[in-house]
Amino acid sequence: MSFRLLVKDELRGFYKSKVMLFLWFGLPLLAILFHFWSSLQGGEIPLTALSAIITASIGGTLASVMLAVSIINEKTQHVYDLFLVRPVKRWNIILSKFLAVYACIAVASGLSLLLGVIIDYVNLGALSDTLLRETLLSLATSLSMMAVSSSIGVLIGVVSPSVLVGVILVIYGGNQISALPIIPTILNISNAALFSVTLGVVISSIMLFLAIFLFNRKQM
Amino acid sequence: MKEGDGNVSVVLEGVTKRYGNFSALDNVSFTISSGDIFGYIGPNGAGKTTTIKIIVGLLSDFQGTLTIGGRQMPEGRQDIHRILGYLPQNVAFQEWRTIDQTLSTFGKLSGLSESEVEKRIPEVLDMVNLSRERHKKVSQLSGGMTQKVGLAQALLHKPRLLVLDEPLEGLDPESRYQVKQVIAEYSKSGAVVFFSSHILSDVQDIATKIGILNKGRIMQIGGLEELKSRFSIANDLEIVLSHDSGLWKKLEALKGIKGIEQPTPNKLVVHLDNKINIDDTVQDLIKELIALGCRIRRLNPISPSLDEVYLKYVQERQNV
Repeated sequence: MSFRLLVKDELRGFYKSKVMLFLWFGLPLLAILFHFWSSLQGGEIPLTALSAIITASIGGTLASVMLAVSIINEKTQHVYDLFLVRPVKRWNIILSKFLAVYACIAVASGLSLLLGVIIDYVNLGALSDTLLRETLLSLATSLSMMAVSSSIGVLIGVVSPSVLVGVILVIYGGNQISALPIIPTILNISNAALFSVTLGVVISSIMLFLAIFLFNRKQM
Repeated sequence: MKEGDGNVSVVLEGVTKRYGNFSALDNVSFTISSGDIFGYIGPNGAGKTTTIKIIVGLLSDFQGTLTIGGRQMPEGRQDIHRILGYLPQNVAFQEWRTIDQTLSTFGKLSGLSESEVEKRIPEVLDMVNLSRERHKKVSQLSGGMTQKVGLAQALLHKPRLLVLDEPLEGLDPESRYQVKQVIAEYSKSGAVVFFSSHILSDVQDIATKIGILNKGRIMQIGGLEELKSRFSIANDLEIVLSHDSGLWKKLEALKGIKGIEQPTPNKLVVHLDNKINIDDTVQDLIKELIALGCRIRRLNPISPSLDEVYLKYVQERQNV
């Protein structure tokens, strides 16, 4: 009951935030701008693929920074005290935040990608099988990368003493780890999408488990 | 909870909390019973907030035992949290929420149903005079209003243990009066109220039991009258005369009187000896004054305030 309520609440808080507004509208717009810029330069990167790349790189970073900053701020202002003096399990607080942000960026990625598919369809006519396959691979990779980014954001939020330290750790440390799910694609492994998703799930789970373990032990 | 529906007691036995070599709380023991309003006072850094955080379960690595409603902390935390209302010092909320959303979430997390939450929100907002601000964002509220929302969320689920850390801090005089009324009224339901404050006159106004903490140690516990007598602070009488015969000096020989001063013409301050029955002394004093040709217009007892008790205590500790 309390977990569902917290996820719903966090979703309500995040989907209207300024960062999410950028993800909802800014990412598709950025993808379109890059697409036209690349056309002018003579390159022809399909908008569908471009959307997936941009969403993963920018969306993942933004999500992890947003999560880390939100948790650090709420922790230092003692916002959680009022949750923790109620019959609420500590992991509910952490996991609800992760799920809310991840759901938001996953939907934003989906929308961005859908826009790319529509525009490509209008420009190119029917989309080739190869393009669709690569797009799905990009989507799987970007969702995995974003899951890792978000879970790292949560972990850093829990352990970091200040916003500044948290942001530095997320940008310089978190981004490196979040690139791991792209390795199967770079190595051109067959079933790269599946490997990428598995890697994303495993790393995210480890990060979240660590975050919850440390949050449970924290004296407020 | 073992103690029935209405009654809850809070029992601390030898509670000690250390941060490295620093002892934030040292062997603190006291009991608060149902219906008590326990005022917890002490200088900055005395350990008041540490005690409160242990009671509400935010700090669990302490020595000693803490029993609330028959359940031990931290093992029985989940059960204790069902009957607990807590207002932290410098309360803060997630900034995107409105007051209504804040209270709705906390009410549901405390176990209230949707319909109970809908019924209780207007009631608690009315108690703290914030009904018109119900749909305002918490980020738009003043410090005093935020403090009142904090009190509202603590009262929302009608907790049997209400723990308030500096609840009157940052409030204007009108709001302070209002919050004190709310606390006093709430304790009549049989709940235990535990609150800390720096404003001693406020503690004096509402506390039925007072605990003085210094350097992590409980120094004194008791009702205000008990503390006053323990510190041997004299009760004084102020007497306004409509006619002063000038013979009142003879009264200093009267049993139960330690001394008499005349700060202004026609006004006497009589220092009474606490060891002698004050009622007898006052009776004798009035009779003798009239017999000496003085006419009494007014007679007021001057009782020592909690501030005086507290200062007396601090002075005694310094002398030791």
